[in-house]
Amino acid sequence: MSGLYMLQDPLAQTYDVIVVGSGATGGWAAKQTAEAGLKVALLEAGRAVSPKEFTEHMPAYKLKYRDHSPEIARTRPVQKQCYACMEYNYEWFVNDLENPYSTPQGKPFTWQRLRILGGRSLVWGRQSYRMSDNDFKAASRDGYGDDWPISYADVAPYYDLVEKYVGITGAAEGNEMLPDGQFLPPMKMSCGEILLRDRVKAKFGRTVTIGRAAVLTQNHNGRLGCHYCGPCERGCSTFSYFSSPFTTVKDAVASGNCTLITNAVVSHVDMDNATNKARGVTYVDRLTRKVKELRGKSVILCAQALESTRILLNSSTREHPNGLGNSSGALGHYLMDHVVGGGAYGKLADMKGKADANEPRRPNGIYVPRFRNTPTSGKHSRFIRGYGFQGGADMDFNFAAEGYGTTFKNAVKEGAYQVSLGGFGESLARWDNYVEIDKDLKDAWGIPALRISMTHGDNEAALMEDAAATAAEMLEATGAKDIHLQTNVEMPGMAIHELGTARMGTDPKKSVVNPFNQTHDVKNVFVMDGATFVSSACQNPTLSMMAITVRACANLIDRFHKNDV
Amino acid sequence: MKRRELLRAGALAGAVAALRPPVGQVQSQTQNQAQGQELTPAQSGVDASNDLAAPGWKPRFFDEHQNETLIVLSDLIIPATDTPGAKEALANRYIDLVLAAEKPEGQKAFLNSLSYLDGESMRRYKAAFRYLKRQDQDDLLHALAYPKAGSGWTGEAASADVGHTHFELLKQRIAGAYYSSAIGEKELGWDGAFAHGPYKGCDHAEGNHQ
Repeated sequence: MSGLYMLQDPLAQTYDVIVVGSGATGGWAAKQTAEAGLKVALLEAGRAVSPKEFTEHMPAYKLKYRDHSPEIARTRPVQKQCYACMEYNYEWFVNDLENPYSTPQGKPFTWQRLRILGGRSLVWGRQSYRMSDNDFKAASRDGYGDDWPISYADVAPYYDLVEKYVGITGAAEGNEMLPDGQFLPPMKMSCGEILLRDRVKAKFGRTVTIGRAAVLTQNHNGRLGCHYCGPCERGCSTFSYFSSPFTTVKDAVASGNCTLITNAVVSHVDMDNATNKARGVTYVDRLTRKVKELRGKSVILCAQALESTRILLNSSTREHPNGLGNSSGALGHYLMDHVVGGGAYGKLADMKGKADANEPRRPNGIYVPRFRNTPTSGKHSRFIRGYGFQGGADMDFNFAAEGYGTTFKNAVKEGAYQVSLGGFGESLARWDNYVEIDKDLKDAWGIPALRISMTHGDNEAALMEDAAATAAEMLEATGAKDIHLQTNVEMPGMAIHELGTARMGTDPKKSVVNPFNQTHDVKNVFVMDGATFVSSACQNPTLSMMAITVRACANLIDRFHKNDV
Repeated sequence: MKRRELLRAGALAGAVAALRPPVGQVQSQTQNQAQGQELTPAQSGVDASNDLAAPGWKPRFFDEHQNETLIVLSDLIIPATDTPGAKEALANRYIDLVLAAEKPEGQKAFLNSLSYLDGESMRRYKAAFRYLKRQDQDDLLHALAYPKAGSGWTGEAASADVGHTHFELLKQRIAGAYYSSAIGEKELGWDGAFAHGPYKGCDHAEGNHQ
């Protein structure tokens, strides 16, 4: 970045692109547009983050409360429903007292958020899977909902590009439901996992593969390979898992074309009524509470699915009375989050060995791609779509051992070989799962907050019931004992895979953005995060979100070159 | 159960719907931000591992009898063997710290279970648990730890055992306190290093995984 450019008042300029949000998608949007020579402002609602605050190598006994801090309970009662919100790092998660939202009686929704440079990419689960045309064109195959207006072939080159940069460890399987990608060497499986893989293939013909994860298994793009310490969600001193501040955002800023503005809580998009174009965004300085305007020729929302939609809903004008980009009325609707809670766990009693506190900790598990309602499996009688499993098998300390005294103490160390599979099911896009502005509720910056109304339906419940049964039968085939079935349907939000609310489509009467993530109603406003998903598939969505963002950016850059923004 | 789950056991609250914070609370949060205090103690490098061993320690939550009972109990649940036990790991002090900051339901549940132990002790031996002979303490704990199995002979079903439930609650707290302590990590064999090379996985020949 040139010194002169740095010295200019960021508010006095007109940027080519304003990117709202610095997480997985915002980082990519800033990197792609800035490296293409466009002048970019990247806005982040939270503060900057430093490797000095990483705590992945701090043992729990150094924490005053060893993860039972009353401060988490007081300020993060919602956030702490996520395992990754810990006494180590809870300040990375939003303070629930400052960031309220409401839900109707009887419809709980847990909304996990980070407002800090990098957003949830700092603490994400890192699992990275491609979607296939069984997902993009699911409606054509079973008649439910709508197809995406784009197909696998449209996104495939961008999956390649993103995977090569991010570094995804995984193994190619040639599975019809889970396209292979550009993989770094796969992590190894444990004995129990290999046993499970082989028995499940032999008995059911189902694929069990090592997890595909955004964790480096060798040095890659200037970052070091994983050192297998385990708790990625507390930060990584070697930057071995993908998080945007130390990759895409760093590149964007290094290009000299990107001005990073932290502590900028965007409230709405500003419109120029004469041209029906956005002229920038208004934000509240998080620390001083001063309201500021930033001018730009285009606005890209990457604030997180529900936050991007909240900004659009809060951007109403006389010409756009129901929120910006909402002439269809679809804005806020078709909210999705993968259904979780179905699965099984047990013990592989015959496995030898002892639990070992000094074993390298693999930050990854195993994955079972969807095997229900596939082109070769035929249609299931009780539900449409399907689910995948994440799981694992390893020797672990047996804290659940019975008894007490020396017997208990020894049994804990002896360990138990645990095996588990947990389902992630597709969440069907439904009009009646939606967000709207709660007129009586504002956040600490005076910005109207969301009312989130979502339930999982009968199809999701049937998926989890089936997931429990198939997980149990696969564990049984592996020789597991003491098998427990889990058939819960966890509350929406628990998968932390919120998708939809500004869906993509070709028909402006039915959708919010076009196939290049441009709002139908306002030519220079784009939504490039999970909000645009038409259907949820059952794969962890971040990789697809990033690929779709890069595709949309390529189109936007092209428009700039053609003077068509 | 994974270690992380053990640490978090009991920490999850129910679903929280709309949170409408009192204005004062939000304002004090904002002042913290303005002063740049947005790191957790851990992120600021605070090491609290010696706090509990501080001289002059006094319980915040327990009364003296409860504290002494817990010390005796923790020494029975996880005794010193060739390695130190829960008493040496100051499990009672950690539990006291956590309970002092916990919601009333959690506090009440723990005290109920501790009182149950004394109640059973009084019923069977006419003295509070901490004053029993070692053998009697052991007999009582054994009865609670291994509830009566149903009898296949008479067709009697195993009953939901109240005593066992109380025992498990106390045991889980003590085990959580012990295995999350520095002594507990050592007991599990941890060498204090964070990186132990790449995950090796299975290196057995195909079909020979047991």
